[in-house]
Amino acid sequence: MCAVTLTVLSVLVFWATDILPGDAVGAVSGPDATDAEREAVRLALGLDRPPLERYLDWGGGVLHGDLGTSMVSGTDVTDIVGARLEASFAVILPAAGLLLVLAGGLGTWAGLRAGSRLDRALSGTTLGLIGTPDFLIATGLLLVFTLWWPVLPAVAIVPLGQSLWQQPELIVLPAAALALGGFGSTMRLLRACVVQSAASPYAEFARLNGVRGARYVWTVVSNAAGPAVHAFTIMLAGLLGGGVVVETLFNVPGLGYELTRAVGTRDVPLIQAISLLLGGATLLVLLAGDVLVRLLDRRHPREGQP
Amino acid sequence: MMATRSRRRGTGVAAALAVSLVLGACGGESEAGAEQGADATGGTLRAAFAGGASETLNYLQGPTGLDYVRAKLVHAPLCELDASAEAGVSYGVLKSIDVSDDLSEYTLSVRDGVKFTDGSALTSKDVLYSLRAPQLLKGLPFTQLVARGFDLEKATAPDASTVVLPTLSPIADGRDLICQSMLAIKDGTTEFTPQTPSSGPFTITAFEAGRSTTLRRNETYYGQAPSLDSIELVSIPDGTARVNALRQGQVDYISGLTPAQAQTLEGVDGTAVSTGELPYASYLQFTMSPAAQPFDDVRVREAFRLAVNRERIRENVYYGHAFIGNDVPGLGFPNYDTSLEQRAYDPRRARELLAEAGAAGIEVELTAGPELAGMVETATLVVEDLQAIGVKAKLRELAAGELYADFGAYAKLPFKAGYTPPATFEPNWTPGAFPDVDALVQTARSATSAEERLSASHQAQQLLWKEGSQLGVMFVPNISAAVEGVSGIRELQFPDLAQATVSQ
Repeated sequence: MCAVTLTVLSVLVFWATDILPGDAVGAVSGPDATDAEREAVRLALGLDRPPLERYLDWGGGVLHGDLGTSMVSGTDVTDIVGARLEASFAVILPAAGLLLVLAGGLGTWAGLRAGSRLDRALSGTTLGLIGTPDFLIATGLLLVFTLWWPVLPAVAIVPLGQSLWQQPELIVLPAAALALGGFGSTMRLLRACVVQSAASPYAEFARLNGVRGARYVWTVVSNAAGPAVHAFTIMLAGLLGGGVVVETLFNVPGLGYELTRAVGTRDVPLIQAISLLLGGATLLVLLAGDVLVRLLDRRHPREGQP
Repeated sequence: MMATRSRRRGTGVAAALAVSLVLGACGGESEAGAEQGADATGGTLRAAFAGGASETLNYLQGPTGLDYVRAKLVHAPLCELDASAEAGVSYGVLKSIDVSDDLSEYTLSVRDGVKFTDGSALTSKDVLYSLRAPQLLKGLPFTQLVARGFDLEKATAPDASTVVLPTLSPIADGRDLICQSMLAIKDGTTEFTPQTPSSGPFTITAFEAGRSTTLRRNETYYGQAPSLDSIELVSIPDGTARVNALRQGQVDYISGLTPAQAQTLEGVDGTAVSTGELPYASYLQFTMSPAAQPFDDVRVREAFRLAVNRERIRENVYYGHAFIGNDVPGLGFPNYDTSLEQRAYDPRRARELLAEAGAAGIEVELTAGPELAGMVETATLVVEDLQAIGVKAKLRELAAGELYADFGAYAKLPFKAGYTPPATFEPNWTPGAFPDVDALVQTARSATSAEERLSASHQAQQLLWKEGSQLGVMFVPNISAAVEGVSGIRELQFPDLAQATVSQ
């Protein structure tokens, strides 16, 4: 099923890039090239061949693990995507962890005490965060942590031979910006699930039977976990390709940033590779979420029995 | 201070935030190391450029400016355009270029004693290969200039220090073609790695595309020895991030600032902004296609040129970091006709001309995209100026990269923004629309006497000034900034870091 989805995705992406006005020849040639030079570039890039032939050629390569070469720089697409994936992960995983702790913890707390002062304060904060664009959150963090209290570097410059993982101080700000960007909506969804679960006859039954404390929290949360896990996985999948602003401002160019650049230069093999990867990763994340929900569902009757 | 500055500029929330960020980042850290002087030697320069994942050591195919900056440090040039030198070029691994009297053959003499990093001597074979490499290795069009004027198939290397290059047709400006961007590589080079033999002032110690390059001084370099021990070229694609990196002391030099960023950094302690000098400025022009209505009427073209307030564009878009254009390319190059009167800003006359041409109240659409700093902003002001003389003008703004992506469609647009990198007028002239100018350019390139060539060139420029299709409003230089203590960087078409110094 995954393979079919990815194939359909690759066809769609290829078709979409093909109908965009212009091609890599324009991006590569610049404003000064003569018509003959443009034609030579077109031939060199193989763009004179019919789209179907180019697609099949590319697809054949992918089946053998060859993602092709970039039309703009002639470098191996696998290398570019690999480096970008590493940068993306280095920021997204800590961001996801932070999101889980913050949104999970506060969402549960607010949900269990719906209507309390804390709940109202959190509602206000999260609404504010949801309404704040990413660049404003990122700029705010930069302002606080590189200027007023200059404890963190503004821009990620990774020494050669090292990877971003080895420089935690470079990851803090972009990860925090991503986590804050996703915090509002995820937390509100979790809170709503917990409120609903706490109001269900099932939770009432548990309360009437004297279930209290951590056991009660777990009863409610595990019951609410299904939709909450879904909300979290969708947020995570969105972070994969959607952190362009944060990636740009902190100089951690990841997949999202590279994809926008590749579209700008009509670098079809790179666009294809990144879209496939993002598509595949999204499917995987969603699948993991489904599996987790199923596991929670199965545990739930045992845990919930008074 | 932050708030007042950003209010004064009033360029919207985003800009204000960026401004306050940048201004605010001014700590005291750059005040250290203030002693500056020519005696400073050694050290490392950390320079940031836009770069990106598509960086490559193969400068023939390198799409980013950083690729050429790096290549220029690693590979010595054959020769370079240099408006102050004799014949407009200064020499690198060549020691001279002689032209036959009939302008049909160029003889290149190779400098003695130039060595590659593998110890071998650089000979005419290497120079010949370097000239042919753009074609053999499928270089980008901008590297193919030599092939536009010379018959590289018939070029020969009769002895170890001579290359003979026949022209395709007689040309006098062949030096400009050879010296615009050609670098010396070793005969047979097909791959570019950090180990590839080279002859420039620096060698690569490590390279990672989209991240950084480290370079070390080449002790066997034939020319003036660099003062720096090493250079680190850092890739930071976003302009605001580059400015922040400079402000925080993460890098010493940044290139490719927008005029607004330059304005923000100017006057801030510990940093210095520098603007490229002429002729190293890109020509920002709006082309009115003479084949399309209403621009087939020369009066309409003149009216549009008179309607635009160039001084306002220079001040409001470029904060003074640009040179006003006079509707003719090549400002600052030796052949540029400085006797041309600067086009006036005369909206009243523009209205009259439009009325005479029966074109009052016409509708036009100007297509522009962010391909050069300030292009869209300038187009916005041009449209405003046109509206002020009664033209129903509107702006069609494209996303980054779109303007030139479909060149066929671009060429057909009746009214469009565009730019050309710094280059002399004649070899870059596209013939077709103005047969009289074509003939004059032909004479300017091929007449045997220098006076005749210059006179033809000036006549062509005068014709273009009077009747041409370009509304050439501005020449836009590269803007860079450095922390105190950095000097010696030459702002050419791309910054040249070879003779830079940093105080310890």
